[in-house]
Amino acid sequence: MNSEYEKQLELEVNRELQQLADLPAPATLAKRVRLAIEQRRRIKWYMQPWQNWPMPLRVGALALLLTMFGGLCFVSWRLTRAAGFAAALEEVGALFSGLNSIWNVINVLFGAVVLVFKHLGTGFLLGCAAIAGLAYALCIGLGTAWVRLAFARR
Amino acid sequence: MSDPQQFEAFMLKYQNMVFSTAMRLLANPSEAEDVAQEVFLKAFERFDDLQQSPTAGGWLKTVATNMSLNHLTRYRSRWSFFSELLKSNDADDAEPIEFAAPDTFEQDVEQADRHQLVDKALQKLPPAQRVPLVLFHLEGLSYEQIAAKLNVSLGKVKTDIFRAREALRKRLRSQLDEIRPA
Repeated sequence: MNSEYEKQLELEVNRELQQLADLPAPATLAKRVRLAIEQRRRIKWYMQPWQNWPMPLRVGALALLLTMFGGLCFVSWRLTRAAGFAAALEEVGALFSGLNSIWNVINVLFGAVVLVFKHLGTGFLLGCAAIAGLAYALCIGLGTAWVRLAFARR
Repeated sequence: MSDPQQFEAFMLKYQNMVFSTAMRLLANPSEAEDVAQEVFLKAFERFDDLQQSPTAGGWLKTVATNMSLNHLTRYRSRWSFFSELLKSNDADDAEPIEFAAPDTFEQDVEQADRHQLVDKALQKLPPAQRVPLVLFHLEGLSYEQIAAKLNVSLGKVKTDIFRAREALRKRLRSQLDEIRPA
């Protein structure tokens, strides 16, 4: 192909395409849009995203949320200063005493694992770490190669 | 809330342009109608701004183009695959250009029929060729902009557009020969 030919072809195609008039839209399009708009309108305001709510409701909702947050902060602050707060805190602590036993079990298990590793020696641990690192590097390498192949620019 | 009658008038004014933009990129009437519907729903959401805007047409065209391209991206791997298969049909056999000259052509077919033929020929092009061709000639994008929009190399865009022009020329010539009386 030569550049003169390409230029002439470009001009001819451009002339043909530029002369094209708009295609007539199907008669159903306007009706479909109208129906879709109606459908959206029928959705209750509280089921729509917050930014689509009417402005007074948006302002009201924001004010309510801020008030609730402020109230929560205030009540929490008052509670910490109340006379029975320390006793209440202890009661809450008792509710979570079950967690303490779970923590103890985890501690024992961890101690056992450390003991096993100590028994196996540093060489074995280093070997494990090297294998894990190698596997990780292999995953990254294969993943990169796959992405490059899949999304290669043609 | 926007006046529905005003929006209706707005839609009637631009619906052909929006539909054509989508149709020439997608080459599928029902998909183009779906995209056009989405474009107008988007326009309805910001009708208050668009109503008085002198650039409303441009905004609609851009949105229609982007939505059509998004639609095509979902099928990107499929149409790239087909594009590769069709490569062999586009040999570089440069022949002299034989678009019928408008004055002689008018003796055979009306201008409207000619437009219909061009549109049909355009729709028959594979997406990998049609999309960059439409973006270049009808949307006025540069090769670089098309490459960026389609996320393909500049070389591929140039090759695809050249092949598309060639294919369009061949299709049009054969169709015109069929119509032209012996």
